[in-house]
Amino acid sequence: MTLFFSSFRPTLFCSILLIVVSVSAVMPGPGGPEAGSELVIYSGRKESAIKPVVDLFERKTGAKAVLKIGKTSGLANEILQERQHPRADIFIATEAGVCEVLAREGALDSYAPARARSIPSEYKSSKGFWTGISGRARVILYNTGLVKNEEVPGSVLDLADPKWNGKIAIARTLERTTLSWLGALVHVLGEAKAKAYIDGLLRNGLKVLPDNSDVWRGVGSGEFALGLTNSPNYHLALKAGLPVGVVYPDQGPSGMGSLVNPNAVAIVKGARHLVLARRFVDFILSQEAQAILVRQAFETPLVSAMDAGEVRPLSSFKSLKLSQERLADLEERTIRLFPGF
Amino acid sequence: MRGGMAKGNMERAASGETFIFRRPTIGVLTPVAALGAVFIILLTASPLLNLFIAALAAGSRGLSSLLSGSVPTLLAKTLLLATLATLWALLLGVPPAWILTRTDLPGRRLFRVLGLLPLAIPPYIGALTYITLLGPVGPVNKAYQAMGGSGQLVNIYGLWGGVLVLGLFTYPYILLLAGSALESSNPAMEEAARAAGHGPMGIFVRVTLPLLRPSLLAGSLLVFLYALSDFAAVSFLRVTTFTTEIYHQLNTRFDQRGAAALSAVLVLLTLLVLVAQRKNLGRRSFVQRRSGAKPPTIYPLGHWKVPALICTYLVLGGSVFLPIALLLYQAGSAATIFQTLASGHRYLWNSLWTAAVAATAATVLALFVSYLIDRRKGPVGLLLTAATQLGYAIPGTVLGLSLILLYNTYVPWIYGTAAMVVLGYLLRYLPQAVQGSAAALSQVDPNLEEAARGLGRSSWQALREVTIPLIRPGMVAGWTLVFISSIKELAATLLLRPAGFDTLPVRIWIATIEVDFAVAASTSLILIATTALPLFLIRRLDSGISQLD
Repeated sequence: MTLFFSSFRPTLFCSILLIVVSVSAVMPGPGGPEAGSELVIYSGRKESAIKPVVDLFERKTGAKAVLKIGKTSGLANEILQERQHPRADIFIATEAGVCEVLAREGALDSYAPARARSIPSEYKSSKGFWTGISGRARVILYNTGLVKNEEVPGSVLDLADPKWNGKIAIARTLERTTLSWLGALVHVLGEAKAKAYIDGLLRNGLKVLPDNSDVWRGVGSGEFALGLTNSPNYHLALKAGLPVGVVYPDQGPSGMGSLVNPNAVAIVKGARHLVLARRFVDFILSQEAQAILVRQAFETPLVSAMDAGEVRPLSSFKSLKLSQERLADLEERTIRLFPGF
Repeated sequence: MRGGMAKGNMERAASGETFIFRRPTIGVLTPVAALGAVFIILLTASPLLNLFIAALAAGSRGLSSLLSGSVPTLLAKTLLLATLATLWALLLGVPPAWILTRTDLPGRRLFRVLGLLPLAIPPYIGALTYITLLGPVGPVNKAYQAMGGSGQLVNIYGLWGGVLVLGLFTYPYILLLAGSALESSNPAMEEAARAAGHGPMGIFVRVTLPLLRPSLLAGSLLVFLYALSDFAAVSFLRVTTFTTEIYHQLNTRFDQRGAAALSAVLVLLTLLVLVAQRKNLGRRSFVQRRSGAKPPTIYPLGHWKVPALICTYLVLGGSVFLPIALLLYQAGSAATIFQTLASGHRYLWNSLWTAAVAATAATVLALFVSYLIDRRKGPVGLLLTAATQLGYAIPGTVLGLSLILLYNTYVPWIYGTAAMVVLGYLLRYLPQAVQGSAAALSQVDPNLEEAARGLGRSSWQALREVTIPLIRPGMVAGWTLVFISSIKELAATLLLRPAGFDTLPVRIWIATIEVDFAVAASTSLILIATTALPLFLIRRLDSGISQLD
């Protein structure tokens, strides 16, 4: 009857002791956050891109900030799950559509920083829920060993040509920039034509890869001749010493232009350090922070009068004018239109 | 209380009650055992419950997505991958387990350490190795094209690539469990078979293999469940499975309910697998573990020495030497590795202590659970088994999100600390510790403990002095498995780590997105070395116990 009581008391005691000890050992947490005074930043932007900005912010303001680097959509899911006790103050997204999703779920706080005034309206939330911090243009990346510049089609609509059979790669819609590109096609061409165009590409052996780094590395290594990807990847491939060239498509008078996806910063609703969070948003739009962001990650500046460095500035090419709100409206239809993409 | 218990036993012994050759039967749960069971069930089942509630809340939408054509296909694909990976792992694991414990192969002690090393290599790193080597522009296909071949000689992407990599980096589960069973099983039975005129092969098939069944089943189960739950490796290898589809639902559509519905299917699938395993183990016969008796028979290999060596080297080459050589090449120089270690020592420390705490907690809980399951038939045991086994079936991402919601809502003071990371490891890998001690415990005749009690030992003394020493190899193996799995864990850690708290796998992941191969490779090597060290220590410990040779 009392066998288990007596035989397991020490075991159970040990296990409870262990749990208590480990929890209390963990509470201050070696390397963990001293919760309270630190600005908590969830960043989908790479560490190498965002850490220098955060370090500079700490130096300038004397405030402390902790970073959680992750995938934009993964962090967005976390913010949704944490809504009852928000942990993050700032969310930095590599794609503004995710911010639109969060804004519609009521997970973001609105704030309109003064420096955002010079940002074109398609790169910020009309209600102030998020602000674009830099952009990435949709481009055609090509392998210079396999294709000459003049052979590269000037329009994405020419990619269904049989001569590109099996030679083009794109990331799947898990990469939000692909999803918004598809949404833009639906917006410009209409559902039927967009569907026909993408089906044509798939019949022509378009290779759908897990993510954009597969695309630029695949093009750089010669696995593919062309890749539909984002402008910074061209510079990353160059930096890695790969033989690549870039074409900004659909630049003609009647062309739709190249879609520019903004990276965005947002303040999480219920943020525990609201004042500091707002200061951070102001700071990330400042000249010095922008310089770091653009230079480190080869992105297109969105605030006016910023030196773009080696990257093509927004004013130098034709971009597609399309609001993120419109893209968010199209999202469900777009996903349903291209299943398994 | 304990004294009273012992006294009670002595009184019963004195009264001549015959209980020595009877399985202990305990009618009612004692309060503490019941409390412990409830605690464990709450701990492990709450994320599941949360998941099922979310799946039910998905309602008609979730249901329609489940009934749509893609789920049966997905189910078939995932099952095929897991089955083939398990068969491949058995093929890779069983022959070395026998060769390295029962033959006079030169250097077998070193091989046994090396043979476990693939466990220290996360399958996602293995996947990247094979993509580099066998990918469309890897050296193998390049060489083939240079020799005039067109297209690709091998295609690493897809089902077969997934099978290759998952099997190569999970076979040590089988090697470890089968090896430990081979070491500690009673040689008397084999001797009897030999006396009856059977050769080594006949003995292996007729005696050793049946005795190995619990260990092989436990090992296969670990591989199978790993294959079901793996995300990183299969997504690198472009295999579509339940986990990649769940990830897609979550991260493209932000459809947490759809993801929950898919996860629920995966959990039910796991439940079926577990029930099947229990059925298979149901008709078990107890085998007394060798305790201080004669060591197992060692067969001289003779002219089989060279083939056995080649076989061992091939398995180790594909799963250890090749990936490590590639990582060393990518890291570039020892300076890079030391630099990475110097600037990232706190990630090493974070990984070490979270994994160690999780492994210890899992081992203690597993002893409790497996003892309760083994000595008590009925619904409580079944419920406990189900509750502790299922954590492994929830994909790390879903477990992470589920835990965020639960703990951030009800115990927000734990959430946001590294304790969440430990909890994530514990819930995901508790089944490994339970498997380890349950498989060992099923080989221990409970009459031994009864006998000890009959000789005046208290229940606790009987457990400590008789049962625990007998199942110690199993418990040690369980601890090691949980430690190794935890220290490699990525998916749940990414979600559960507090801001500013990174582990080695998280740093590898970050370096991979930064396309910084040198740092990714250096960090991987540090992770592998860290994981290998306890493996080596524990092997020494094991051989100390078994007095091999």
